[in-house]
Amino acid sequence: MKSIWTIFKKEWDRVIKDKRLLFSVMILPGLMIFLIYTFMGTAMSSLNADKPGNIAIVNPTSAFADIYTPDEGEIIDNVITIDSTEIDTYKDLVDAGEWDLIIDFPEDLETGLVDGYQETLEIYLNGNETQSQIIYQTYRGYLDEYSEALSYQLYNDTTVLVFVIDSMTVDNNKIIGALMASLLPMLVVMFLFSGAMSIGPESIAGEKERGTMATLLVTPVKRSQIAMGKVASLGVLSLLSAISSFIGIILSFPKLFGEDIDFTSIYGFGEYAMILGLLFSTVFVIVGVISVVSAYAKNLKEAGTLITPIYLLTIVIGISSMFGEGANTSWWLYLLPIYNTVQTLIAILTFDSNITLYMMITIFSNLVFTALLILLLNRMFNSEKIMFSK
Amino acid sequence: MEAQVIIKDITKTFILSKKQQKIERVNNKHKVAVNGLSFEAYKGEIYGLLGPNGAGKTTALRCISTLIKPDSGDIIVNGHSVMTDPEKVRESIGFLTSDLKLEAFFTPNYLFDYFAHLRGIDENIIQTRKKQLFEKLGIDRFAEVKVGELSTGMCQKVQIAISLLHDPAVIVFDEPTNGLDVLTAKVVTDYLTELKNAGKTIIISTHIFSVVEKICDRVGIIINGKLLLAKTIGEVGGTEANLENQFFDLVASESEEA
Repeated sequence: MKSIWTIFKKEWDRVIKDKRLLFSVMILPGLMIFLIYTFMGTAMSSLNADKPGNIAIVNPTSAFADIYTPDEGEIIDNVITIDSTEIDTYKDLVDAGEWDLIIDFPEDLETGLVDGYQETLEIYLNGNETQSQIIYQTYRGYLDEYSEALSYQLYNDTTVLVFVIDSMTVDNNKIIGALMASLLPMLVVMFLFSGAMSIGPESIAGEKERGTMATLLVTPVKRSQIAMGKVASLGVLSLLSAISSFIGIILSFPKLFGEDIDFTSIYGFGEYAMILGLLFSTVFVIVGVISVVSAYAKNLKEAGTLITPIYLLTIVIGISSMFGEGANTSWWLYLLPIYNTVQTLIAILTFDSNITLYMMITIFSNLVFTALLILLLNRMFNSEKIMFSK
Repeated sequence: MEAQVIIKDITKTFILSKKQQKIERVNNKHKVAVNGLSFEAYKGEIYGLLGPNGAGKTTALRCISTLIKPDSGDIIVNGHSVMTDPEKVRESIGFLTSDLKLEAFFTPNYLFDYFAHLRGIDENIIQTRKKQLFEKLGIDRFAEVKVGELSTGMCQKVQIAISLLHDPAVIVFDEPTNGLDVLTAKVVTDYLTELKNAGKTIIISTHIFSVVEKICDRVGIIINGKLLLAKTIGEVGGTEANLENQFFDLVASESEEA
């Protein structure tokens, strides 16, 4: 037991006492994720932000002006009246992307209303310009409303179907929960794996390649204790690295989804404790896999090459959270490592009623897999063919 | 004389990869590195394994240290078999070879404590041993400098200190003076003599005749994995020149047979 602790402490010191490594393992992932997601959020919101449009109207009517005139606080478009002789000039501006829309009303529209009356209204927009299309959609809505108003003047109310829309009160927590459940499991698995990847191969394949592992192997410490010490320390360090990434993503959420979505307050202590417990059990499976592959690899480079496809596979498993509704209900699927983490996370984030069962099976399965991987690592440490292959 | 290390008819064969076959210029996939090797090392003596590169010296020493297992035969170190009780063997042995490296990031001071804790040594004893070994080998001057920043000689001294921190009864050093300047080499050979006088059993491998002649009590000449001669230094003539002559005669007769 003492030897496990000694090895744990050495691995811990190797990262914590190395400022560069500490920065790249513990701070950089969170910082990068925060910056990337904040940038993405800012870019998306600036893309979606409403900009005032430039609209030129020929023969405007006051009734139509009442419809498009904005309420207080809304964006005020630049609406001008032009003469029919100016249309071509404004069409050129629209084509050049310098103007958004031209609406050409017929002369004396409202005074000429009689039964069977039909007039042509011309609209000119630039289909290649996003802003022009957005403004067109908005004013098309106003024009439909105006057309209905004119029709009402002629025939009174001709509406056949009157819609009454009723629904249950929107449960904001459920919506946010579903959003989180579709996004977070993949990110969490990625963070755990990339955290473990940044230190695991170095600690085993790197030590093997440099000959420092052999120095450890000539001590009387049992190989199983070396395996346990390595896996334990790498697990804790990887978890800390994943938490750094997790903090980064939480801090970037307001920019990504809007300031009004506060997902941190919809989950209580219970949910957070479960997430942490789940991650703690999962990280040892991931570290176990990375350690076994690193021990098998002849050098650090080969370890990286062998681990990459496994990393991609875990991302694919993570992506499964984006499909399907809620957590999988087949209990035996919770025996499969990584997949069980993704599904249990979904269950936690969506307040699934079977969460206790899923959590128990997942943690049990992860413990069994960790033990098996440590046993395998122990056997590999005992194999001279694996440890001293050149 | 009490035999503390008994090597009993050990054989070790390696499977060569295609690349290794090319380097060694052989077509055979199997290479017999050690072939029926037997010898004994007594308490309070330095036994020198002398042989050319690739003779099987390092393989034999790696088998004694339990890093690798012989295919057949056995080695008894301090009463423990490397086949059945490797952990006990590792407890009583101090092993040094160029394949064992120290982590460049840590200081000699940190690594000494780390390996001492792994061997379960008491904290007070660790500090006493560290002071003693660091002073003896002149490590105290660079005890807080990272291993990665040390010269080859300094590194070798730290390796020696760490291999001896548990005061082992048996010391196995593979080419202990390799790559060292004459001054550092003298510090090492003098210390080995001192350890011998303190009753330790020491086995060294080397291809330097003068080292054998100066510090060894007995010598075993190993060529192509076989022990072709095992005598005391007196029996081989007591001088470097005599040892050299016998060695080259053996090499010549072995290559004729091959």
